[in-house]
Parts: sequence; C-alpha cells; structure tokens
Amino acid sequence: MDVQEAVSQSTPVGAAEEAKRDGLRKFTMGPNDSLEGKLTYEGHVTVDGRAEGEFRVTGNIDVAPGAKVKALLEASNVTIRGEVEGALNARDKLILGKNAKLSGDIHVRRLQIEDGASLNGHVRMGDFEQQGSGG
Amino acid sequence: MFAWATLSSRAPGARVPRSAADQPPPPTEQSGERNSVTLGPRDRLIGELHIDGDVRLGGTIEGQVEATGDVEIDDEAKVTASLAGRDVNIRGHVSGHVTARKRLTVAKSGSLNGDVRVARLVIQDGASFSGNVSMGAAAVEAAPKPQPVVAPEPTPAVALPQSAAPQPAAPQPAAPPAPPKTAPAPAAARDGNRAPVERGGGKPDTGKAKGPVTSPPKGKPKR
Repeated sequence: MDVQEAVSQSTPVGAAEEAKRDGLRKFTMGPNDSLEGKLTYEGHVTVDGRAEGEFRVTGNIDVAPGAKVKALLEASNVTIRGEVEGALNARDKLILGKNAKLSGDIHVRRLQIEDGASLNGHVRMGDFEQQGSGG
Repeated sequence: MFAWATLSSRAPGARVPRSAADQPPPPTEQSGERNSVTLGPRDRLIGELHIDGDVRLGGTIEGQVEATGDVEIDDEAKVTASLAGRDVNIRGHVSGHVTARKRLTVAKSGSLNGDVRVARLVIQDGASFSGNVSMGAAAVEAAPKPQPVVAPEPTPAVALPQSAAPQPAAPQPAAPPAPPKTAPAPAAARDGNRAPVERGGGKPDTGKAKGPVTSPPKGKPKR
C-alpha cells in the first residue's frame, strides 16, 4: 500500500541523516511520499507531501512548504510552513512560517507567528506538566 | 585640506534628505492630519473610547476602545477591554477581545488573553497568547460590534467621598444625577469578561475548530 512504500522510501534518507545535531534520529518524507496512520517516533520528523493521522514525536516536527497534513501533531518543537489541519501540541515551541496555514486547536508553551501565516482555532499557552523532553 | 573641508561639509547636507527619506517618518508626520490620542502610564480610563484616528495606550484601561486608525498598547499598559482598530500592536497586558482590520501584532513583551478576529496575525517569540483565533478578511467583517468587557458600574455619587470626585463646582452640592435604575451592572457581566482558558480542556478534537466561532453576546447591558 501507499503507506508502506512511503515509509520504505523514506527510511534510507532518514538513516543517512541519523545521529544529526542532538543525536536524535530523523525521519524525512519527500514531496511525493504519503503517510496515513499513526506514527510514534523517537527523533525528528520532517513532513512533506501528504500525511494523515496522528504523529507523536519526541523530537521536532517540521512541515515543509507545500505539504498537506491532516493530523494530530505532538512534538517538542513544531515548525509549520505548509498546510496543517488538526490539533497540535508543542511541548516547547510552535513556529508558523509566513506561508503556513493551520486550522485546529493548539496547546503550546511558546508561540511565534510570522506575518502572512494563517491560523484558525483556539490557542492555549502554558507549561506541560507531564513529560518534558529531557525526561 | 580646504577641498576636503568643502567636500565634507557638502556631503552631510546632500545626504540628510536621502537618509531621512529612507527611514520611516514618525507616526505623527505620516498620518498627517489624522487624530492621535495618547494615554500615558499614569493615566486611567474606564469606559468606552471611540476615536477617529490612532490611539496609544500606556496606562490602565477598562471597557472598550475603538479606533478607525491604529491601536498601540505600550509595555506598561494594563488593558481589560475589547479593542478594535486597523493595526493593533500589543506590547503590554491585554485581556479582552481584539479585532484588527489589518493586522494584530503581539510583541515579545506582550500578553493577550482573549478571542481575536484579524486579517493578519503576527506573534513574536516570547509573547503570550491564549484565545480563539478567527482569521481572514471575512472573519473581520463578520465581527460583531465590540462590547465593553467590564461594564462601568454606576456608583451613586452620594457614596463617594468628596475629595475623590473631581466634580466641577456645581451650584447644588447634594444633587447627584440619579443613577439610572436600568443599568446596575450585574456581577455576572464582570465575571463573564473572559471565559477561563482552562475550560477548553486538552482534548485533541480535530474537527472542532473550524468555522468562525460566533461568541454569544453576553450580559448585554440594557440602556
């Protein structure tokens, strides 16, 4: 199925970039990949193409420009430059780039919205009691 | 040496107008004839303010502020009011609904607690914001007339100590203009100024947030 292909295509890329920066693994989807379902991942995720479902990530989530995401997103830092529909939890910071589109309720610790970004939904700001990224 | 002096004395003269043109002119010049109102950090306003022009607020504000121009909230400002303007710039504390026909900016020193209807939104890192966001030109046009967040309480003049009321020397000292019976601001109007944010809960409800949320008119003050 579509999903399997997307994963298997993406994994080598992710593996190549493994142990980057802070030593966390990286899962990268390209513009032609798609993912449907639940993903729990220890590391960073970059989403391009089309994604639907639920993403729970210990590291960061980056949504590339042009990507279309319909999902619940949960991560430390979330950076959105594409289109996202769904609830979003950022344990640390959410950045909406200037062409980002986000509709959904968000809960974040810090928030940065650049001019030109679009946001519709409820915003809640505050610390997360459970589960800091550092443990 | 002399040639140098002439050159250098010329250069700044030739440059000044150009560099001045590069810089954005101060707001007062830019707006030309436009009216501009400023409330300093020690000023206080409780009630409604409608301004045909720009407003800059630095003190304590309660009620409702509406401007045809821009609204600027300074660092030290404590605003418990609904705000409406073209560009709205928040660097202080605001709690209340905000409508920005053009753009709302919450600077890093700013905090905003309330629902917003904006055409464009900028939130700088470090700013604090909680509330519902409705974005786009349509959301702004659909915005209801901003309602006062805190209804001004009609305090009977009798109860006031003489010194506290800066009344103009009235001919009859003990003739307060009878407070209208119809407008005793109920306590509910005050409590309802902003629903607590926690109530929203952490439910990851994906489909909930679509569509402009029309907040029901709460505690309409009868007149």
